[in-house]
Parts: sequence; structure tokens; C-alpha cells
Amino acid sequence: MLAANEAAVLGAGAAVKLLLWPAYRSTDFEVHRNWLAITASLPLREWYYEARSEWTLDYPPLFAWFEWALAHAARLWDPRIVAVDNLGYAAASCVAFQRLTVLVSELVLFAALRRALRALARIRPGPPAQAQIAAALVFLSPGFLLVDHVHFQYNGFLLGVLVYSLALALEGRDLGAAAAFAALLCLKHIFVYVAPAYFVYLLRHYVFGGRGGAAQRLARLARLAAVVCAVLCAALGPFVALGQARQLAARLFPFRRGLCHAFWAPNAWALYVAADRALAAALQLARPGARPPPPHAATRGLVGDTRFAVLPDVPPLATLAATLAALAPACAVLLRRRRPCGPVQLVQAVVLCAHAAFLFGWHVHEKAVILVLAPLGLLVAAAPSPRVLRMHAVLSVAGFYALLPLLFGAQELPIKAAVLLLWALCSLALLRAGPASAWACLTRPERLYIAGHVPLFALAELVAPSLFARRLPFLPLALVSVYTALGVVYAWLGLARAFLCEP
Amino acid sequence: MARRRVATGGNGGRRGMDPVLGWFRFLEAQGAQGIALPVTLLFSLLVRWCVSLHGYSGRGAGPLYGDYEAQRHWMEITTHLPAAQWYHYDLQYWGLDYPPLTAFQSWLCGAVARRIDPSWVALDASRGIETHASKLFMRATVVALEAAVFVPAVVLLFRSRRLQMPWAARQAATFCALLQPCLVLVDHGHFQYNGVMLGFVVWAVHFALCEQHVAMAVAFCCAFMFKQMALYFAPAVFAFLLARCVRGPRGARLFVRLGLAVVGTVGAMLLPWIRSPAQLRQILVRVFPVARGLYEDKVANVWCAASVVVKLRSLLDLGSLVRLATAATALAFLPACVHLFLAIRRQRPGAQAAADASRLLRYCLLNTSLAFFLFSFQVHEKSILLPLAPALLLLGDGEGWAVGWLVQAALFSIYPLLFRDGLHMPYWVLAVGWAALCRCPARPADAPAPAPVARLQWLVALAMGAIHAAHALVPPPPALPDLYVVLNVALSCAMFVAFFAYFNYRQFTCLRPGAAQQPGPKPKTA
Repeated sequence: MLAANEAAVLGAGAAVKLLLWPAYRSTDFEVHRNWLAITASLPLREWYYEARSEWTLDYPPLFAWFEWALAHAARLWDPRIVAVDNLGYAAASCVAFQRLTVLVSELVLFAALRRALRALARIRPGPPAQAQIAAALVFLSPGFLLVDHVHFQYNGFLLGVLVYSLALALEGRDLGAAAAFAALLCLKHIFVYVAPAYFVYLLRHYVFGGRGGAAQRLARLARLAAVVCAVLCAALGPFVALGQARQLAARLFPFRRGLCHAFWAPNAWALYVAADRALAAALQLARPGARPPPPHAATRGLVGDTRFAVLPDVPPLATLAATLAALAPACAVLLRRRRPCGPVQLVQAVVLCAHAAFLFGWHVHEKAVILVLAPLGLLVAAAPSPRVLRMHAVLSVAGFYALLPLLFGAQELPIKAAVLLLWALCSLALLRAGPASAWACLTRPERLYIAGHVPLFALAELVAPSLFARRLPFLPLALVSVYTALGVVYAWLGLARAFLCEP
Repeated sequence: MARRRVATGGNGGRRGMDPVLGWFRFLEAQGAQGIALPVTLLFSLLVRWCVSLHGYSGRGAGPLYGDYEAQRHWMEITTHLPAAQWYHYDLQYWGLDYPPLTAFQSWLCGAVARRIDPSWVALDASRGIETHASKLFMRATVVALEAAVFVPAVVLLFRSRRLQMPWAARQAATFCALLQPCLVLVDHGHFQYNGVMLGFVVWAVHFALCEQHVAMAVAFCCAFMFKQMALYFAPAVFAFLLARCVRGPRGARLFVRLGLAVVGTVGAMLLPWIRSPAQLRQILVRVFPVARGLYEDKVANVWCAASVVVKLRSLLDLGSLVRLATAATALAFLPACVHLFLAIRRQRPGAQAAADASRLLRYCLLNTSLAFFLFSFQVHEKSILLPLAPALLLLGDGEGWAVGWLVQAALFSIYPLLFRDGLHMPYWVLAVGWAALCRCPARPADAPAPAPVARLQWLVALAMGAIHAAHALVPPPPALPDLYVVLNVALSCAMFVAFFAYFNYRQFTCLRPGAAQQPGPKPKTA
């Protein structure tokens, strides 16, 4: 049974989400409609070849099966939704159906959070109110509200599967956690970011952590491999059997994209590109008449390559190396000697992994910050240390703020401002470490940084569009990504320190 | 959003508590009172703006459109024409028919619109303009004006020390008054500026509580100079101020000052037309359109409900109808007003006097406006918003269940209007939300409803649900195309009559020595 306050969280959340139906929706809406049509109307062997729409299927097979399941309901609701040639179909019934699927599939997250909290309370008991607030803050976060229910995606469902997998790990069911995570990988391959944490954890905790000699370890390793392989085979097998492995890989990993997205996600590369632009501008000031800025500047390129004026170019291999190096703290959390390697450490490592990949990955999208914040919310739920709470505050405000440019219309301006402010107020005042609220834990510079988002909003959303629209159209966005990138980098260092040094 | 109301759990004793009150008690327990008001305001902004994403009156329904186009058209004529023409220009196309303060508001909004994009209010050329940007602008003006007048009045009133309410109850009352669904749906969905008029009325109540009677009179003048419907409150305000004048030692002086304030405020607003009696007459004719008939469309008042049985409109001529309606209205509001007058005149001065007087005033405002809604001439279904405003101000006076139920009935009574505007989704979300927030019909907010009332609430909720379901699923018989709307009118009207009787009874008994404690301010539980 649902407790009264859980029903209230669900109900009030659903109320706002339902009211948001007519709001802006991105091309992702048509992407998912097209996938519904492809999976419903075409035989399996054509799913990854169909290209009538430019929005070809580029998620792994389990997600295609998810769309296939939804498509059955869609056909009953309105058969025109699942017609492959019905490109750009967005009648009221179609909007209602697709918005509804997001709303319903998000319940996976709700159920997973409940389960994770119950397991977490057994390992690290804290005040129950704190746990419920933290869970409600994850479930109603601007990440899901703005990205899923306005922009249109299924992150709530996907993160729900991740949290479900973590919940299984917290309950001590390592094999179940492994299976759920393997399934998640086949739903959306971006979660490969956190695969290293799972890999190390399962090896140390499940294979080498239990009792018994080498034979038993080998048996456990075999069992683990069998489970993971079973899931992967079930998902990928049919397509490999059809001889489509190469096509599948080409669809899932389009490597022709640039280092940074059109809007730089707030990560290390945003700072790097910004430094390059600043240096170029400084050089031009110092030597007027020097070579003009390169034609494909990162800020203008939509999907194209990112070129640099002053600093050396960054090849994909360099980002890979940087990401791998940045995974060190995450692995260290799991591999320290004389320290336990339990499920809480797994959650910490998942947070650090996702964070590292977000900071140094190739062509990272700002939406990926949800991957860091959802598991971090679990850690905040159970007796967090003041440092973790501080970093959570900085990272969540900066990370969610960086999502606002996704909704660029004037109509969504009051919505995104109100949603983010509401969330930040509740989060800062209600989450606590011991007796102190998150706001009380923050140091003065951190408070200034968080409060600084308000003038940033005024500048970037209200003043700049009219002021710089003609000459420097990219400046407000660049400002946002640089400012928020500072917080994201700072929070990564702080979290790594907290997870490594605190008992 | 709803991380509010998170954490009353784990505390078995509080289960089943009103979720709004529970949320604020939780904030109090957490020592986070500081975020209560910002969260309330942001949440009500969010809900209003989300509602405004949906349909509005007359969208895409040329050539005459609806209330939205009327308001926009007034911006167009007030910014382009001299005041002398405002009440004359092309009256067939949404001629201005509200008093001058609405005209000034239109002029102000129009002036801003002209600065941003002149095409939104171009004279004649802009008729029926429905671009995305112009719609956003119009929606934003409603939010801004409501935030300027209505919101601060409600917030200040419930902060007043003279209202004896615990902190959480004040916050809960503010929350409910701001998120009352009828006002949100009519202003931000259907499209009107009722929040401004009702805001001035709340200001008047606020000033009455502070015993600043001249300010009260000015605020009330602003209200009816914005929309003449605010005159529904006039008898109550008049009785209240008159009682003040005959009571105190400086009564005569107060009387003169009040008179000057009223004449001054109304005169100042009529200044552009004051020299020409013909102009003033034209304003009067436009503002009080007697010729439009006994009631408009289908409205849940006595005349419309009675028309199922007796076709008064065909039996009597217009003049008799006006006289009949006026006499019935006067009979209906007089008891409450006379009681208010006598009770305040008899009052002994003291610390409790201002609070008691304000409480009586709020009851009387509710009763008078409900009397006008039920019995007066030319009533719109949207006029039910007027009784709701003072009703919500009674939330702190032990009227939790009655007010919650009244709002529910009012929302039900305007659903045909909302559905015409394509506001199905917001209607359902806010109707279910309000029912859940106020625990209607299951459980009242504070003083529990008597058991028979609770049972009746369930029955009425069932009837409402049945009418909704039939409306949605079964087409009405060809002989009775308006069947469901008439059923709605009959049910709503019966409820409003019952509420009218109940709130009159409450007004007469609320200050009795025995009754004063019974519902009283919400008890503070440990």
C-alpha cells in the first residue's frame, strides 16, 4: 500500500505533469513516435535498416522491444500513431498517448526508489523523513520534469532500471543487480559509462568477496558470466543471428559527431573550448589583423567537428584516455584495502563513474547529468556527511540549471524558472546532515555560487537574447555552460574526496 | 510540486490529516518556515502558467471569438482612440462594457504591447490575432496583474496578527486561497481579469481588519470601478461602514471622510468623461445592460433553475422581471446586512472587536454576493467567483469543510463553460487536486463535518460524477439537447441555495458565546 505522503508526491507530481501536456516538445517526440511505428509495423529484420524518417532507430534492442510493447497500446489508442509513413504526426490523441507513456513508465523509478530506500535504511539507518524527502526530490527533480515531461524522453524509466539494479545490490542480490544492469545496457548504451563500477564491484564483492577457495570463485564467476551473457544474448542475439551486428553497431555508435554538442555540456571540454575562445579573442586584441577565427567554431557547429584557434585539438582518443584516467577515484572507492567494498560503495562508484564520463566524455549531452544526480540522491537519502550534501547542492543546482537552455521558448520560461527554484528551495532547506540543513552546511563561496545562478538567469534568459542576439548569439549559452561547468568540476573533486577519505 | 506534503509519514497519529496543513506543519517541525511562502507563491505561479498553456475562450472561433478577444480588443481601442470614443467605438464588435478602471488597465497593457510589437494591438487590423507571441503576452498580463493586486492582498491578510490562527493554518489558508481552482481556471484558462477585482475586495477586507476604513472604501471603489459585478458586495460593505459611522464618537467625521473618499475615487476614475453627461450616460448604459435579459446562457441561479418549471421570461415583460429580481435580491441579502449592521453597532470596543467584526464582514460579503448570484438580474455563470473570494477568507474560521465543498460545487457549475474552451485537462486535474487537498468529500480540513453532511457529500459527489459520465458517454436525447447542462444547473443551484442558508445561519450564530469556541481557530496539535 502507498502511504499518504507517497500518494501526495505521486499525485501532485502527476498533476503538474498532466498540465504540461501542451507545452513545447522537441524532435525527440517525433523520434519516439517513429520508433513506435517502426517496431509496430515492420518485421524485426528491418528495424535497424528502416530510414524513411531521418530519426532512425539508434537505441539498443531492448528499448526497441519497449517501444514495440507500447506500440500495441498505441494501435488500440489511435492506429495512425503507428503508421510508418505518417511522419510528423502530432494530433492531440498522439500527444496524449505519448505523454501518458512517459508518465506511466516513470512509475518504474518510483517503485525502484521505494525499494532502494528500504534496503538502504537497513544498511545505513537515518531519519525516515530525510529518506522520503530525498526520494521525492529525485522523483520530482527538474531533470525528469523538464527533460521527460516537456522536452520528451524516457529518462525516468531508464534511471528507474538503474536504481532498481542498485536496489538489488543493496539487498545483497548481486546476480540480480548484474542482470538488471545488463538489461539497462541493452535499453540505452549510454549507461556503459557506469559499467566499470559494476564490473569492479561484481568482481570484488561477488566473485572474490564470498567464502571458499578458487574453485568456488570460479563457479561464481561462471554464474555471473552466464547471467550477463544470457541477458545480452536475449537482447542482441536475434539481430546478430540475422547478420546485422555491423549495422547495429553503426546505428548505436555514430562517431562522426564533434567534441562538444551545439550547446556545450557543462564539463571539462566546455572550459577548454571557452579558454581557447578567450585566448583567441585576446590574441586578436593584441595583434589586430591576425588570422580570423576558424570557420567551424565549436559554438556554431551543430554536429560538425570542433576546431580550435589556439589550443591543440582534442582527438576522440584523448577524451577516452582522460575519461579512463578520471575513472581512477571511482575504482579506488571499490578497491581500497582494509576498507569494505559494500553496495554503498557501489553507489558511490556509480556516481563517480557517471560524473567522470560526463566531465571528459566525447560529445556529452547536458542531459547526462541526470545519470549522476539520481544515484547521488540515494546517497543523500541515508545519513549523508555534510560534504556530500554540499556537493549535492552545488552539483544539482549547476547541473539542472544547465538543462534550462533545452527549453528555449518564451512560453517555457516561467515553467523552468519556477520548477528549478521550487526544487532548489526544498532541497536546500529540507535535506539535512544531522541537524544542519544543506544551506547551513554550505560554505560562503558555495552559497554565493548557488545564488549566482539567479543573476545568471536574468542575464542569459532575459537580458542577453535582446542585447546580443545579432552580434554574439552564442554568448549567453557559452556563459551558462562555463558557469555551470565550474560547479560540476568542483563537485566532482569534492565528491571524490568525500567518498575516498570519509569513513 | 509535491515534495510538499512529503513527510507526515511515520507519524501514525497524523495520518488522514489535511495534506496542505500537513505540509506546513512538517515545514514547521523541520524549522524551514522560511521557504513556506516562496514555495506557495512559486507553486501557484507554476500551476497558473501550466493552465495558461491550454485553451481559452473563443480560440480560433472567428469572426467574433470570445472573452480573450474582447480583452485584447479593448487594449486596441484604448491605446488608439481618445477616451471619448472608448464606450462608443463599433459596439457590435466587443464594445467596452466594463467600468473605467478596466479601460485604464486595457490602456496600460495595450501601451506595453505597442512597445513590444504594435501588430498585437493595431487598430482594426489586429482583430482576431492569435499569434503565439501575442497569446503569451496576454497570458503574462493576467499573471502580472493578479500578482500585483490579488496575491499581496491574500498574503497580507493571512499574516495579520488580528486573525488568531496558528502559523501552519495561516500558510495553509494562503495556499488554498491562491490555488482555488475556479479563479485559476477562469482567469488563466478561460481568460479574464477577475483576480484584479477580487484582489481589490480582499484589500478592502484587509483594511477592514486593520480598521482603516477610508482605505477600505477606496479599495472597494477600485473593485467596482474595475468590474461592476463587485457591486454584489456593496450592501455588505455599506452596512459595515455605516455601522462604524453610527457607533464611534467620531462617527460623523468618518462618514464625511468616507463620502469624500468614495466620491473622490469614483470621480477621479471618471475624470476623462466628467464634463459630458451624455458620455457618463453612455458608460452607465454599457456597464449595466438591462436589455440583455434575466440571465445569460445557463447559469446555476434561481431564475434559470426555475425556468425548467416556469418560463418566467415568456410570462412577464422585461420591466416586471427587473422589479421581481431586484425585490427578491433585496429580500435575500437584507437579513445578513441588517445583522452585520446591528452586531457591529452593539459591539463593545476591545481587542477582539476588530477580529469579530472582520469575521462577520466576511460572512456577510459571502451571503450578500451569494444572494445576488442566486436572485439578481443578468447573472453570468462566472459570477460564482464573487462569493468564493470571501468564502476562502473564512478558511481560518472553522469553515474548512463548507468552503471546500462550496468551491467544489462552484467548479462543477462552470464546467460546461470550461469544456467549451477546451479546458478539460486542467479542469480534471484541478478538480481532483482540490478534492484531494481538502479531502472532499471524505474528510474536512479542520472541524469535522457532521456525519450526515459527510454522507451527503458523498452522494452529491456521486451525482456530479454521474452527470459528468453521462455527458461524456451518452449523447443527450434529440428532444432535450441541453439535458446535461440543465441537470448541472439544477444540482448546482440546489447546492448554492443550501450553502446560502447555511452561511446565513453561521453568520447569525458564529458570535454567540457558546458557538464562538466550537469551530474557532484551528487547534494547534502538539
